[in-house]
Amino acid sequence: MTVSAIEFSRLGPPKLRLYAMRCASCKTLQPWWEKFHCYACGTGDLSEEELAGTGELTNYTVVYYPPRDFLGQEPYVVGHITMDEGVLMPAPVVGVAPDDIAVGTRVKATLRRMKLGHEGDIYYSQKFVVDPAGTA
Amino acid sequence: MRVGVLGVGKTPHKIQHEKSLRDLIVEAGRAAIIDAGVTPGDIQSLYVGNVGSVGFNFENSTGLMAAHHLGVVPAGAVRVEAACGTGAWALHLGCVAIMSGLYDTVMVLGAEKMNDLATVEGTSIIAQAADSKEEYFSGLTFPSGVALTARKYMQVYGLTEEDLAHTSVKNHHYGARNPMAHLRFECTVDEVMRSAKVADPLKLFEVCPMTDAGSALILCREEILRDQPDKPQIFITATAMGTGTWYAASDTLDDAHALLARPAQKAYDMAGITADDVDVAEIYNSFAIQEPLGIEALGFAEMGKGWQGASDGSTWIDGTVAVNLSGGLLCKGHPLGATGSTQAVDIVEQLRGTAPEGIQRADAQIGISACRGGPGAVGAIHVYQRLEG
Amino acid sequence: MTDVAEIQRYGAYLPKPRTQVSDLHAFYGRPGRPRSRTLATPALDEDALTMAYEAADEALGAERAPGAIISVSQSAPFGLRKMSSTLARALGLATDTITMDLAAHPAGLMDAFAVASALVADRPVLVVASDHVVTYEERVCDMLSAGGASAFLVGSSGGFCRLGASARFSQEIYDVWKLGTEGEPRYRLEVLFDAYQAAAKGAFAALEKATERPASGYAAVAASQPHPQTLRGLGKLGVSAEQNTHTSFVGEIGNIGAASVGLSLALAFDAAQAGQHVLAFGYGAGEGIAQDIEITSAPPTIAAKERLAGESITIGTYYRWTRGRQAEPH
Repeated sequence: MTVSAIEFSRLGPPKLRLYAMRCASCKTLQPWWEKFHCYACGTGDLSEEELAGTGELTNYTVVYYPPRDFLGQEPYVVGHITMDEGVLMPAPVVGVAPDDIAVGTRVKATLRRMKLGHEGDIYYSQKFVVDPAGTA
Repeated sequence: MRVGVLGVGKTPHKIQHEKSLRDLIVEAGRAAIIDAGVTPGDIQSLYVGNVGSVGFNFENSTGLMAAHHLGVVPAGAVRVEAACGTGAWALHLGCVAIMSGLYDTVMVLGAEKMNDLATVEGTSIIAQAADSKEEYFSGLTFPSGVALTARKYMQVYGLTEEDLAHTSVKNHHYGARNPMAHLRFECTVDEVMRSAKVADPLKLFEVCPMTDAGSALILCREEILRDQPDKPQIFITATAMGTGTWYAASDTLDDAHALLARPAQKAYDMAGITADDVDVAEIYNSFAIQEPLGIEALGFAEMGKGWQGASDGSTWIDGTVAVNLSGGLLCKGHPLGATGSTQAVDIVEQLRGTAPEGIQRADAQIGISACRGGPGAVGAIHVYQRLEG
Repeated sequence: MTDVAEIQRYGAYLPKPRTQVSDLHAFYGRPGRPRSRTLATPALDEDALTMAYEAADEALGAERAPGAIISVSQSAPFGLRKMSSTLARALGLATDTITMDLAAHPAGLMDAFAVASALVADRPVLVVASDHVVTYEERVCDMLSAGGASAFLVGSSGGFCRLGASARFSQEIYDVWKLGTEGEPRYRLEVLFDAYQAAAKGAFAALEKATERPASGYAAVAASQPHPQTLRGLGKLGVSAEQNTHTSFVGEIGNIGAASVGLSLALAFDAAQAGQHVLAFGYGAGEGIAQDIEITSAPPTIAAKERLAGESITIGTYYRWTRGRQAEPH
């Protein structure tokens, strides 16, 4: 049994609160992992900015062969969510059948377990659900 | 500046439970050494492409292992890793080593033994080629990351899943005729459409298998090959590498295009040719959608039209340019570290005229290989030419 | 306790997957008649915290500066780690928010109401009850244990109902033991039914003394462990089937532990009118707590009833999820 290095990661998506990184120079908002320099302009002054948690699903796929941490949840929807603040975030969309989802669906963030937690630590982060308030 | 291809070799591409990683390395390496007519002692430097032996096989130092068991000691040996572009990067370093004038003869070898693990473990290890700790923690896998690109491509250019299915039909037509390929069956558009879903809209026949294989090339200074006129006079006339974004979230269709288009233009300039001159191409297609992306980036079609060749015949064996006569990764499989070197070996066979029956392009003179990795992060282009003295 | 503590808003969360209890009985070879048709089964990526988050988010609404969070849960791993502080961070609340966990039995919600009433002078207090009582592995089907959460925003004014008098009754109880052939001690359901009724009787009597309102005088009764047998016990104390309407969820989704009184309250609030009284009753380990809640104005509705329906999962999916938590790939 090979142990995946992921198991011991202290990195990962934002934990309990959804945030993105704002460039002080060009003001571009980008995903949380851009913490060393701005992907748009290359300068180094980035700061965390909390997101409201709502957005639109702009691209998605349905995963039938999951990685280890998602075993048992397949088929599940994962996609790119363009947050209302403008930044693109990769995240699963849960609580909805793959057939009931489409590009353009309004979604909002919720808290879920990201890993099965059988190694001890429980890893919470944001997944998204269809936003009932956003279908108007 | 040209690099002579003195010899090539490869193992079958398939699941090989009876062989270990080192078995594959030695089998491919020895085949190339014999083909080149050299001895291990003639090799002055060894570049071994291997992505995940630590994860797949629980062993490390693949370069040193290869040097020892191929008997190229005391020459220098190193392991090279650049995601799915690994084999192509080993080839690039081999070419650079010859072009620099430092070495006369070097070996480039790529190998991967992926089937020591179940698919779910393999999937997790493959995902480490992208940012598995941040972005891919979100439940993305390699198939699903590329599926996002496929959906975007279909949306932007107004295509259907059937349109894209032709690519798999073409690859499988040739893969069935390649005795070294992993998957050897022909299929129809309908069968592609009915194959199991992997990551919507990608289906099983549009996804490469996990494969065990090795492949190798012996490279030399131009004069060394010129001095052996009985040998096929195949030269690598351009090698160009590049990087793009490491993240699916920032990988736009323009980025996916530029990833290969930038080094392709460099390579054409370096070789002094244009896209129109190319007879055969091996284009990275671990997922079917990546073939049209590559066709467009290499300048064989406009953006959004790269899929048409598989449908109208222009990328088949007697088309304008024959693409993936080996069956591509869809049929050969994608033994990560070996993929780039196998593409090179397959093109060399085409130019030598020694490709298997049914997949030999008539009178192929100029070939190109395009490898992609990361999947938006690594772009690698090599141009090969038959140049009789 | 302050003179006035009112519930301003409330929320409830139920996971969507529904396991058929008849399937469970057939699969585990358990004799007897299922007391519930289905169980609300948390998905593989849900637990007491994520369900609490959902209910809390609904109960908070636009209020993002409560003075305190009190969480009530019996579910692992929240005996070992503090749910309320994690929840406060997940909700993005200020760092000076007071957070406290009540590791409780199903009457813990009333304990939390008592604490909240003492804290609401300046800012409202969020009370969250969330449970998925048994682990999948040690499932005891008789208990009908399912997963769910309920949450209440308690303030000193601006609410639709008033937290009124409460009364307690407690006696020593021996409800975990083993019979001769059993390998390990287990919770004795048969003791629950008797003890539950005794505790309810004592608490109801004490509450009546304080409020002069008999059990039959409430528009609705929101009781914990709403098993058919326990409800029959309440019937003997004068609680009619009609008053128990909002506990009937147990037949749809099973028992959700500390969250069940809250869910029952949410269902009752959805249907309540000004001037009515609702009786909350929770039982655990020999103790019963009863509380009078007076509806002072028309409550906001959250249509909690619509959430009782879920989506059926197969026994195969259930098995994958139960084994899946530890499962190694083949």
